Amino acid sequence: MYSRRPVVTGLGIITASGCGVSAVWEALRTNRAGLGPLTLFASPRYGHHPVGQVRVDVDRLAGDARGSRSDNLAWIAAREAVTQSGLPVSDDGPGAERKGVLLGSTVAGMLGTEEVLGRLLRGRRGSFAPLRHHECASATDLCARRLGARGPTATFSTACSAGALAIAAAAELIEDDEADVVLAGGADSLSRLTLNGFGSLLLLDPAGCRPFDTARAGISLGEGAAMLVIEAEETARARGARILARLSGWGASCDATHPTAPHPQGEGAAAAMRRALERGGLSPSDIGFVIAHGTGTPDNDAMEGRALLRVFDSQPPPFASVKRFFGHTLAASGAIQAVVCVKALGEQAAPANLGFENRDSKIGLEPARQFQSRPLRHLLSNSFGFGGNNVALVFSCPSPEPASVAAGVPGPSSGFPLAVLGAGLVSAAGHTTTAVRAALAAGGVMPSWLDSPAPFPLGRLRGYSCGDFGAGEAISSVRRRRLGHLQQMALVAARRCLPQGPPASISPDRVCVAMGTGLGGLGETAAFVENMLVNEERAPLAGRFANSVHNACASLLAMDLNLRGLNSTPTHREISFEAALWHCAGQLRQGRADLALAGAADELSTYSQAVGERWGWWDERAPVIRPFSRDLKGRRRPLPGEGAAVFTLARDDQGASPLARVRGVHFGRFAAPSGGPPEAQAEASWIRKSLERDGVPLASVDLLLTGASGWPPWDDAYRQVASALSVLLGREVSLGAYKQVCGEHHSASAFGFFVALGLVRGEIEPALCLPASPSAAPAARPPRTVLLYTLAPGGGHALCCVCA
Amino acid sequence: MQSLADELKSKIIKALNLDEITPADIKDDEPLFGAGLGLDSLDALDLVSMLERDYGILIQDMEAARQAFVSCRALEEFVRRNRR
Repeated sequence: MYSRRPVVTGLGIITASGCGVSAVWEALRTNRAGLGPLTLFASPRYGHHPVGQVRVDVDRLAGDARGSRSDNLAWIAAREAVTQSGLPVSDDGPGAERKGVLLGSTVAGMLGTEEVLGRLLRGRRGSFAPLRHHECASATDLCARRLGARGPTATFSTACSAGALAIAAAAELIEDDEADVVLAGGADSLSRLTLNGFGSLLLLDPAGCRPFDTARAGISLGEGAAMLVIEAEETARARGARILARLSGWGASCDATHPTAPHPQGEGAAAAMRRALERGGLSPSDIGFVIAHGTGTPDNDAMEGRALLRVFDSQPPPFASVKRFFGHTLAASGAIQAVVCVKALGEQAAPANLGFENRDSKIGLEPARQFQSRPLRHLLSNSFGFGGNNVALVFSCPSPEPASVAAGVPGPSSGFPLAVLGAGLVSAAGHTTTAVRAALAAGGVMPSWLDSPAPFPLGRLRGYSCGDFGAGEAISSVRRRRLGHLQQMALVAARRCLPQGPPASISPDRVCVAMGTGLGGLGETAAFVENMLVNEERAPLAGRFANSVHNACASLLAMDLNLRGLNSTPTHREISFEAALWHCAGQLRQGRADLALAGAADELSTYSQAVGERWGWWDERAPVIRPFSRDLKGRRRPLPGEGAAVFTLARDDQGASPLARVRGVHFGRFAAPSGGPPEAQAEASWIRKSLERDGVPLASVDLLLTGASGWPPWDDAYRQVASALSVLLGREVSLGAYKQVCGEHHSASAFGFFVALGLVRGEIEPALCLPASPSAAPAARPPRTVLLYTLAPGGGHALCCVCA
Repeated sequence: MQSLADELKSKIIKALNLDEITPADIKDDEPLFGAGLGLDSLDALDLVSMLERDYGILIQDMEAARQAFVSCRALEEFVRRNRR
């Protein structure tokens, strides 16, 4: 019998050094660097720096994909990887629910967004179409839609380690039997934001990056995408697939020291490498070669050298950074390195560290100078991101013999229920259960008029603002002065959740964090971009750039509370929170963490105001959000809101008395041939299957708590799903909603989770969640099981089962 | 007329959102970073930006920044020599 060990059966890649695995390997074999002049856009200040720009016509090569440049890069690599795996490129028949897509992304559609913002600032009109692809989830959804994948689909945005984190998460999906095949990787295009951002940090080397060289002076920015088809060994063997490599180990850690600089001694980096080795059941001496993160910045390479010396007991194996071949491709870089590792195992050869000439005596290590044939059984690949988000992966030769099932593989899905130990909230409805109950009882919260947005003076807008949420009292002014609005909300929520910090009995290494966000720190991003466009790239705002990364919240919580386990930032539209909950749940269930902080945060910002209003996105005519009211017409959306929520979770066998329990978390894509909301019967049966998997008796389900917001097609879908579920159960399932008090935003389901806790604890009456039908009979007892059910326009759905 | 030193102190406070500090709190010879005001490398980069915006001084590498930001007096000297 073959195990559920993750194996790699397909590779795809597009970089400045070539398009396709063969072309890229040929560049590596012949030491041909891909750095060259920037021609994709004009940059008055940094245009003379060499970059790793993809030289082929990306949009043409992507055929009819028609996404952003990042999306199209992702699709080109995905198509190659799936083709090589022998799986059908497009197939949404049986098995579609066992196919997942997990990608890393940081830049996403920013290149197009910059163009739209530039036009807005100059007062010109033009197409808003590029904004459709702004979000990090855009590439993931595009790949999933085209591949017909309906299993777990999520995007991670942990800056430069995002691609590697997506691959690690894919391995966990496979091991936990939540999918049979996962497309995993990363993609990022060049953008003005990242070029100016790294420039503002004085981290661009005008001579092109020279990793580990004594004269190194920074990175060269690059772009590209790489994808891996990762399957369970048993299903890959069963279909006769050619196994290219095993993904034998993966480990993640957080420095918890600085927003952008790495830990000087490389403690976090070393921890990630050690965890990856441990997971693979390997000792350091098993590793034949290391593909280093090696960005070429003075700090990273010095730190990574120290970490290598520590992990490998002063005698690291041969190693190389491949950054001069491709440039630093941010979220794609971990995935690109993974493709290099798998190819190196197949070719039994490893690349040179291009750009290295002279040894740095402060590092005391010399990377591989030549492309060279080497006997290789296990390779390690490092990826380190802003916020100290570190990930290490180990790839190994495929084993000819079936592995014993027990080897390092945890039991599938055991470990639920999880105990919810604490909750912290920042919302338009206040931060306590009492306040939220009162707001629900009042039928909703009145949105407030927001300040006229400074960078984009395009009129006023109303929204569900959190107002003064107590940041002044909760956060010292020394800490607060550097934080963006989103980070302040997240930090206040975390402090409310864990006022005393984590228990001293739990090691910081055993506490993980996952903070979802749909759009990240938009205010900080807009401020940086506005300054860049208005001042023609002069006097860039470094602090704003540091805050613009999506993982600025999760890494801030880690720094504030000293949490050094996995640090994740899922960003996947309206189901970002559920993906965060899932990531934490996995760490707890597999015994890799003893405590988890899971949450989500999104903000109202000048950017969303300006763009939303200009685009005619928000419906100004509807005065408030009234779920199931049919207030809104056409394509217009309900009024935006903001907020943050953080929850602490642990395994339920720790003896603590929890607020409530989570019996299961599921997310994926629904089938919607029309591109609109899902078909109710299919959703009801997906929910039933999910509950059966969790061992939750259908009969215990009392309430479906939904993301309904008065937007007719989606409200109707929620209502129809509840009806279909009632038919399956043979009795009425109540329908609830919560956006009338928190507004429409990508992290609203985290607020919904807070409401669900109140419901199962009997502190919020179910009838209060039904503002449109005040005649609903009050329930005699609190609901036993609340299903938090969220649909994301774009194709995502998520289910979280909350019990007393 | 405001001296350059006082002007710089005001600009430091504004650029770094140091709400609870007045120009008088910044001593001429105290280190700006580390012990003194407790500023870090990101603050230094925001000061780099301020120098470029307000004085037209372009700083290209961290080492130059480190020397300029040793103290307020050093910064004043640096601005005097390099402003355009």
